[in-house]
Amino acid sequence: MSALLTVLLAPLLAAVLILVMRRMSEWLALFGLTISAIASFSMLMNAFSGILPKIVIAGLPDMPLHIASTPLTALLSAMVAIVSFFVVLYAAGYMKTDPQKPRFFATMMLFVAAMQMLVLAGDWILLLAAWEIIGLSSYLLIGFWYQKPEAKSAATRAFLITRSADLGLYIAIFILIANTGSSNIAQTLDGPTSMLVGILLLIAAMGKSAQTPMHDWLQRAMAGPTPVSALLHSATLVAAGAILLIKTAPILPEESLLIIGVIGGITTIVTGLIALGETDLKRMLAASTSSQYGLMLIAIGAGVPLAALLHLLAHAFMKSSLFLGAGVFQHSRKSTLFNKLRGAGRDHPKIFIGFALAALALAGIPPLSGFFSKDTIIAASFSSSNAVLLVPFALGGTILTGAYMARAIRILLKGERLAQPLAGLHFMGSGLSVLVIFAVGIGFMFSQIAELLGEHLPENPVAIAFGLAAAFSGLALGWLVPARRLLGQILPWAQNGFSIAGGFDAWFVQPAVFIARQCDRFEQILYQAILSIGQAGLYLGRAARFGDERAIDKAIFAFVRNTIWMGGRARSLQSGLIHKEMALAVIGIALILAALFVYIFTN
Amino acid sequence: MLPIVSITIFLPLVGALAVMTMRKLPRQGVHAIGIGISGLTLIGTIFMWMRGVEASGFSQVEQINWMPSIGAAYRVGVDGISLPLVLLTSLLFFLTFIFSAKVKDRPHAFVVLMLMLETAALGTFTALDAILFYVFFEVSLVSMYFMIAGWGHEDRQRAALMFFIYTLLGSLPLLLAILGLYLGSDPNTFDMRQWIENPPLSGMAAMLALIAMLFTFAVKIPVFPVHTWLPAAHVQAPAAGSVILAGVMLKFGTYGLVRFSLQMTPDAFREAGQIVLAFGVVAALYGAFAALAQKDIKRLIAYTSVNHMGYVVIGVAIAALATDPAIRATALDGSVLQMVSHGLVTGALFFMVGMLQDRTKTRDMEKLGGLLAVTPVLGWSFILAAFASLGLPGLAHFPAEFQIFLATLRVEPWAIIAILGIVITAGLYLLAIGKVFLGETSEKWAQMKDLELREALTLAPLLFLIIAVGVAPFWILDMIHKTTVALQF
Repeated sequence: MSALLTVLLAPLLAAVLILVMRRMSEWLALFGLTISAIASFSMLMNAFSGILPKIVIAGLPDMPLHIASTPLTALLSAMVAIVSFFVVLYAAGYMKTDPQKPRFFATMMLFVAAMQMLVLAGDWILLLAAWEIIGLSSYLLIGFWYQKPEAKSAATRAFLITRSADLGLYIAIFILIANTGSSNIAQTLDGPTSMLVGILLLIAAMGKSAQTPMHDWLQRAMAGPTPVSALLHSATLVAAGAILLIKTAPILPEESLLIIGVIGGITTIVTGLIALGETDLKRMLAASTSSQYGLMLIAIGAGVPLAALLHLLAHAFMKSSLFLGAGVFQHSRKSTLFNKLRGAGRDHPKIFIGFALAALALAGIPPLSGFFSKDTIIAASFSSSNAVLLVPFALGGTILTGAYMARAIRILLKGERLAQPLAGLHFMGSGLSVLVIFAVGIGFMFSQIAELLGEHLPENPVAIAFGLAAAFSGLALGWLVPARRLLGQILPWAQNGFSIAGGFDAWFVQPAVFIARQCDRFEQILYQAILSIGQAGLYLGRAARFGDERAIDKAIFAFVRNTIWMGGRARSLQSGLIHKEMALAVIGIALILAALFVYIFTN
Repeated sequence: MLPIVSITIFLPLVGALAVMTMRKLPRQGVHAIGIGISGLTLIGTIFMWMRGVEASGFSQVEQINWMPSIGAAYRVGVDGISLPLVLLTSLLFFLTFIFSAKVKDRPHAFVVLMLMLETAALGTFTALDAILFYVFFEVSLVSMYFMIAGWGHEDRQRAALMFFIYTLLGSLPLLLAILGLYLGSDPNTFDMRQWIENPPLSGMAAMLALIAMLFTFAVKIPVFPVHTWLPAAHVQAPAAGSVILAGVMLKFGTYGLVRFSLQMTPDAFREAGQIVLAFGVVAALYGAFAALAQKDIKRLIAYTSVNHMGYVVIGVAIAALATDPAIRATALDGSVLQMVSHGLVTGALFFMVGMLQDRTKTRDMEKLGGLLAVTPVLGWSFILAAFASLGLPGLAHFPAEFQIFLATLRVEPWAIIAILGIVITAGLYLLAIGKVFLGETSEKWAQMKDLELREALTLAPLLFLIIAVGVAPFWILDMIHKTTVALQF
């Protein structure tokens, strides 16, 4: 079987096996992911030597499904394979004592398979399917501990907000298929509709990548198990939005790029400030994810999707490492509140070193990977025709990253040591360490990656200087100045998630519920009205019957009486009031029919 | 060649007559006959499926002269539009008989009614003669009326009355339209194939006939504002009745919309297309919003039927308005598949609500909660069916709705506003799942039993097909598409 299908089917098969056997679920999951990863790597190697397989499967009439390996998709697929494997390795330890383990690993496998499908999809229908199944699996995983009320509401919210945004993708796809006559992604588009398509795709991506103003669900999604956060913040759910824009960048018109860049810029600042004001480590990491994806959108807006892609890759490893580290601290202190985590880094020094390396990488300190990826983004924003707008955003986002990461490191480092043995630390440590190695070193592979994609890295010494200055000043600020002082007056607003006039609830949920109530009220009026019309009709019918019975021929009269008798039999079935009318109605229809037949015969 | 179509249609009727004669037969025996007969009927329809449909026109036609002087005859046959519905019908009846094996209240009458209803339903979808169609159409209504009145829940009288009023008002216009078409055809005939090949009416006459038919079918589908019988009837009907009502009988309306309105008065339909489309859009959105406000889970699912059938109306209206045959085929493919998907998904949901009600004696979602932990099989099955109903890709509704919306955007972009429905249904299903299945389990339900074998056997085929249609829709779409691409009007 081809590598392309193996990448997708191995995790799915593992999910089925886990559900059937209900034992050894972590091993089955790891086995499935190993097979998938091997296939994914062979695909990437083939891509380097120019072999790009493609599969066409039957789908809807005239719209077959395509799975295609391109340099871009092979690369993304390999990233998904690596991150998911090590996150699941970590989860084998993290979920060791959970009785619902099989369900957890089976859903994780579905999640990974859907993400691989999204990455490799060569046509819009498959992409849309993968996009929505990612939404389903994140709903199931965020709500994994479904008896907890916060898990229930967080899962519902995540699915609803992303699905509302998904309408953008649906309509964009309909317009694209209508205009190009094909469901294939590799089509170009021009004319006035292309702007509309660009905005619609952006809306969909904003939902999935938690961009302002749709950022609030991501922080609440922390109600799920930590490995879930590690996966959905790095290589899967959130990444889907940016991947959509990177994949479609070639068909996006110039004007829509500016909008994308500005949305990304606003997000990186707004969610960066939220991260700085957080009182909870995992929620801070979640806000940071939105902020980093904001930086990627800036790069796409600057017309250099390659820079966004590189930051996406680096971020996947950095953020999964950070979450996995946070999960260990959470297990050891039974909380993720900063107040409870003071000194938690000293409990597990090795884990802390991994966490700190990933944090410094994210802040953009050379020679860690984040330095290279941030540098390409800043260079890209300098090269843009809208540099005046985008450069301040990119630098602001970089300063904020340094500040909140320095703050987190400081809190974890300063405080009492409370060492206690931890179950499953083995698995967790090994999963984390490999991801940290990637977070540190992947930057050195960027030039090969650019070569594979046939593009050049943007270079700009001024950008490097500015980027380094921003990163170091951010770190210094975060380390030296308390967040309260940094944020000043806006602290309460930031801690409230910058929600504007009640946020999603006030703007969408409440109006929908209001309309629903009105419909329901109208419904009752309508029901009563028709019921009374009906009752009036029945009385009329009864009155009219007397007249009819006298006028009708004797033979028919007997027929009717027979039927009334039959109606009486029917009534004995149960004590109905209207069986007689019912029977009469049937006979009435029969009479009309008979009369018509006679009429037709005689003519 | 064996007249499989006729044998299949009348097998349940023969079974009903047999049960009537065996008054002494114990309950188990009666139910066994019901399951056996409907199983054989299912096999019969599978035979029909294996024989397949031809590229154009009707296949497997069986014909007996009846009243040659007026052009009425017994004529039955199938095409790619009716065959999927025939398969759906026989499957749902078979599963309903399995599910209803627990009915202790007057089992003889119950089985007889259900079998008669099955013959009527199969006949409605296969009739190629307008008189025959009308007779089957009417008989099914009478059977369903007795089903609600006889085996319904607490407020069945009022619901049955509502159903009855609509029945009376609803069917007469269709009869007038049929007579109009008959008088317009030359030579006079009730042969539906002739009417489709050469639409007999034109101009004002065609428009009047269309309006009459639209009224009948709008009641049946049901379309806002003549839908109020549906929630009432569903809530009061027994689970078996709800499944058949939603899964099979609502399709009489949409099937009639395609077979009669679209195929026999195509020009008039094209003229009125915008209005029909508007009704579809309103029904889809109104149904979704009304469902969102419900606290009774059965009412909630009933209103989502208004929403889903609204999409079918949109699809058929788009097919009428489209000038490009390829787009028309896409719209009709989506509409017919949507009927099948709705039957599978809503059938499964109504079965599960029945199972819930059997256990908890309530349909009020506020009183339930945390049931996933005590009844995982039922809970996960419900979640699967609910996600199918909200249109998740990989499950049955997605390919259908995708095609309908795609065609809509290409022909009448304004109507794409109906797509808002998929977000509203997502919201209402997630809320329902949250209320009923997630959260803390209260003491009251801690001892609840999960599915028994009979219930699992009822659900398993539906859940399997929901996934099969979603993942690989072509095994059913190919049959539909064969007919829809060949349609000429």
